[in-house]
Amino acid sequence: MIVAGVDVGSTATKSILLNENGEIIARGLTHTGANVVKAAERVFNQALKMADVEEWDIAYTVGTGYGRFRVPFGDTQITEISCHAKGAHYLHPGTRTILDIGGQDTKAIKVGPKGEVIDFCMNDKCAAGTGKFLEAAAKVMDISLDDLGVISLKSKKPLRITNVCTVFVESEIISHLAWGKKPEDILRGVHNSISGRSSSLLRRVGLEPELTFTGGVSKNIGMVAALKEKLKLKINATEDSQYTGAIGAALFALERASIKSVTTN
Amino acid sequence: MMDEIKFKYQGVARTYQRELLDNWYSGISSAKEKGEKVAYLFISGNIAELLRVFNFHLVYPEVNALQCGVKKVAGDFIMKAEDVGYSSDVCGYVKNDVGLILSGNKGPFGTLSPPDLLVCTYSGCMTYVKWFEALAKTYGAELFILDVPYLREGKPTKGDMKYICSQLEELIEVCERKTGIQYDEDKLKEILGNSVKAEDLWVDILQSAKNEPSPFDAFFEAVFFMAPIYVLRGTEECVEYYQKAKLEIEERIQHKTGPIPEEKFRIVMEGPPPWPHFRSFWELFKKWDVCVVASTYSKVGGIWDFGFRHDPSRPLESIAEYATNCYTNYNWKMRSEMIKSYIDDYHADALVIHSVKSCRAFSVGQADARERFIREYNVPTLFIESDLADPRYFSEAQMRNRIDAFFESLEHRRLVEV
Amino acid sequence: MQTHQDGNGYSMTFDRIISECRRKVESPFQEINKWKKKSRTGLAVGTFPVYTPWEIIDGCGMFPIGIFGGGSDIEIEYADSLIQSFICSIARSTLEVGLKGKLKDVDAMVFPSICDVSKNLSGIWERNFPNLQVEFIHLPQNMYSESAVDYLVHEYKRLADNLCTMNGSTPKEDSILESISVYNENRAKLRELYEFRSKEPWNLSTLELYIIIRYGTLVPQSVFSETLDKLLESVLLRDKGERDSVRVILEGSFCEQPPLDMLHLLEEAGCYIVDDDLLVGYRWFMEDVSTEGSPYRNLAEAYINLSYPSSVRHDGNRSRSDHLLEKVEKNAAAGVLFCAAKFCEPALFDYVLLKDALEKNDIPYLSFEFEEKMGVFESIKTQVETFVESILFFS
Repeated sequence: MIVAGVDVGSTATKSILLNENGEIIARGLTHTGANVVKAAERVFNQALKMADVEEWDIAYTVGTGYGRFRVPFGDTQITEISCHAKGAHYLHPGTRTILDIGGQDTKAIKVGPKGEVIDFCMNDKCAAGTGKFLEAAAKVMDISLDDLGVISLKSKKPLRITNVCTVFVESEIISHLAWGKKPEDILRGVHNSISGRSSSLLRRVGLEPELTFTGGVSKNIGMVAALKEKLKLKINATEDSQYTGAIGAALFALERASIKSVTTN
Repeated sequence: MMDEIKFKYQGVARTYQRELLDNWYSGISSAKEKGEKVAYLFISGNIAELLRVFNFHLVYPEVNALQCGVKKVAGDFIMKAEDVGYSSDVCGYVKNDVGLILSGNKGPFGTLSPPDLLVCTYSGCMTYVKWFEALAKTYGAELFILDVPYLREGKPTKGDMKYICSQLEELIEVCERKTGIQYDEDKLKEILGNSVKAEDLWVDILQSAKNEPSPFDAFFEAVFFMAPIYVLRGTEECVEYYQKAKLEIEERIQHKTGPIPEEKFRIVMEGPPPWPHFRSFWELFKKWDVCVVASTYSKVGGIWDFGFRHDPSRPLESIAEYATNCYTNYNWKMRSEMIKSYIDDYHADALVIHSVKSCRAFSVGQADARERFIREYNVPTLFIESDLADPRYFSEAQMRNRIDAFFESLEHRRLVEV
Repeated sequence: MQTHQDGNGYSMTFDRIISECRRKVESPFQEINKWKKKSRTGLAVGTFPVYTPWEIIDGCGMFPIGIFGGGSDIEIEYADSLIQSFICSIARSTLEVGLKGKLKDVDAMVFPSICDVSKNLSGIWERNFPNLQVEFIHLPQNMYSESAVDYLVHEYKRLADNLCTMNGSTPKEDSILESISVYNENRAKLRELYEFRSKEPWNLSTLELYIIIRYGTLVPQSVFSETLDKLLESVLLRDKGERDSVRVILEGSFCEQPPLDMLHLLEEAGCYIVDDDLLVGYRWFMEDVSTEGSPYRNLAEAYINLSYPSSVRHDGNRSRSDHLLEKVEKNAAAGVLFCAAKFCEPALFDYVLLKDALEKNDIPYLSFEFEEKMGVFESIKTQVETFVESILFFS
């Protein structure tokens, strides 16, 4: 039996296929873009191709993320908060706290020993401390989003970014650039600012080790470094971190599929 | 199921309420023409009974603002106020009202007559004062600030009571001067008698939510059921309304039914509703078969379920006491204890805090309360944010995500515990 | 014009005192520890803006100290989880100062009823600092009620009694009267400095004047009194030379403390600020408070009748618009700078009424917002410069 999890985030869409032993057999990743349905289909097909299976081979599909209700082939929808908890527990069973920094939301999730959500907190209405903040910096500095973290690590004298508002941070960066400040110092400042917001969010749920870092921003090594410095804690962040939501969704799919097969048999 | 059984009283309260409110608003509309006096006042801790002695038509700008929210015209009014200099960061109710005035005082409820007197009871918030200062300037109307001290000691001090009572006496003089009507204590006692009757009935309705399943949603329904007790209190119609409403609730209890076909979660709700998105907000909870069994917003005008009643034998004193006895005039220790008692007494599974930007009197301290309830009381608590007036602050996707995740986790926890 | 040399020695005295004061202002809480060590058993009482009765605290033998936010360098790590993002910075950073453990030497904290935020803030403090005595005082908003003074007397007494329960003492009226006269003296000196600045703004900048008052909220009043004497003497000998600047009134920064760099920048950009509402709650009274009879009654009457108007008190028959117009006229100001703290509802609401009054009287104004932690002022600078140009060139 094969099951699927599709995580439609605001920036990226991810898919995962699991076999009946819960082993990952395929992945898919694409930019979400304007058409959520297409993005979901794209990653799903990528994964099918990679595993060399057909759509009818998939016993159950769970959609998660912002666009979860738009996954046309999904059997059910579960929030990414539950999925991240389950996925993080799968990747790092000792996880007790999760920090998920995505495109427009940052979440701190407290999880129990079985990967169940005990409490969670998200950034408030403003986008301070989310991936949007990094996007704004990348845009105004004309640097690719993927390079931000690497560049920030070169900083010797990080600047203090005082604006928490995503709109105003752009003008703050522009004025730093106008004063001839080094891009790496500005960027480290931006990363420090996000890690500051994140740590306050983590404090809201109560930070307990192990901490697993998930979401698109977890690929950013500058962010991982800034968080380590701030929290003085080992941080789980691996290649698969950005698939955490999709993995969790696929694990839920596996549970549901087993229930389904029990009841139909 | 609701529609399978014949309900004698179904919708009775709603229909009668509509009739009452229509009459009330049409009185307000025609007052100016007829040369009748109009007083504007706020909901929290209001002194409607005293003003009734002088036959004022009563206008509550907050109610107008929430009507505009529900009828989805608030956004335009708010932007009109921002055009004349109001910041995007100040209370949306005030901006809605300013926009309404700039539009000829014409709202979904009809046209409002201008005030002869503004009575600002400072038991709700500082914003009340700012609001009526602006109205006083616009209308050139007389403004009376009834200053009501915050319950910083957990109850009104002797000095507080003396201060409020003597202000009430000063207000009486103002009312006499404005209306040419003499203050009549017997009339006030009679009005207060009506208040008490309605208050008793209202408490019965609120406490009916202790039943399982609850016959009544103490937030999503209560915000409508509460209108007469806050705006028409002291009238005979108000008493009649609650008699009818109680029959409707009793019938639901008899049939073990309520607003949710199958109640799965019972919650306590803290904070005001997002009026411009009221329906969709409710849907987000209905989807999880959630019934609100107690709420703090339904206590925004006054709190009776811990025993307070107006008292015709101490007319002014009990009006003064009432003025102090509303939710936003409580300190946070009192608020937390109140919420905690609701969770225990109404067998709630969780607390949901809806934090609105407009109302700092409500919202400052809610994030701290979240921590108190989770860490000290071990109550699962969800914290969500939007606004009570400004439609721009409501993000349905974000809201849905948080609500879904919260009830998913509660559901999961139940499964794990079983 | 600099036709003759500065009275060098004195001017240096002035500059030296200011830079010492500035050091204190930039690390505001060190004085508490110093005072406590010296007094051994003394109690320190933190006060939140705007109107706290300093005299009563001082008169109870305690050390009142202004706790007005965390300054521009504080990093917010804890307070964000307890206070939403749409609340003003001062509420958040003051809490952060406490949560970071910097107020260990403070025994009590007093919050006056200035706005909805400060009301509820007292509850947050109670929960987070169980060992701290948290007091909330409700100042009257009905200034024309016959009973407002009696009520406030009652409230002030309540505060004094509550504070004194900390060390089992009883408030002594005589010693509060003495404190009143000390504060009277210092405030009279500040009024002198304000008048001096209005006359010769080039010889006393707003940044300097602000630093002086803020310093006064951080040290014992006897110390402040000596400093003020020296400043009053030495400032007269300054001769900085007049610049081509526009005289303006600064309005709206009565609670959250503006960054020092911003105050400097406003004048750099071509303004002389000739009156303001900075730290108005320390300066508080327009005249001396009576030192005869009941101190509580004297203070209460002064609050009702002698306070500088501000957005956090409803003044009944006195209109704040009129007061602002008077300030403009009295100080021969050419315009008004509205400088409200971001999210400060009282200031932002009042702005609309005040600017309408200015428009009716053809007085130019500029409005911008600040935050305590702001570090970049490019946009404010550009706006103020443009404002100055428009007045200099076109009016």
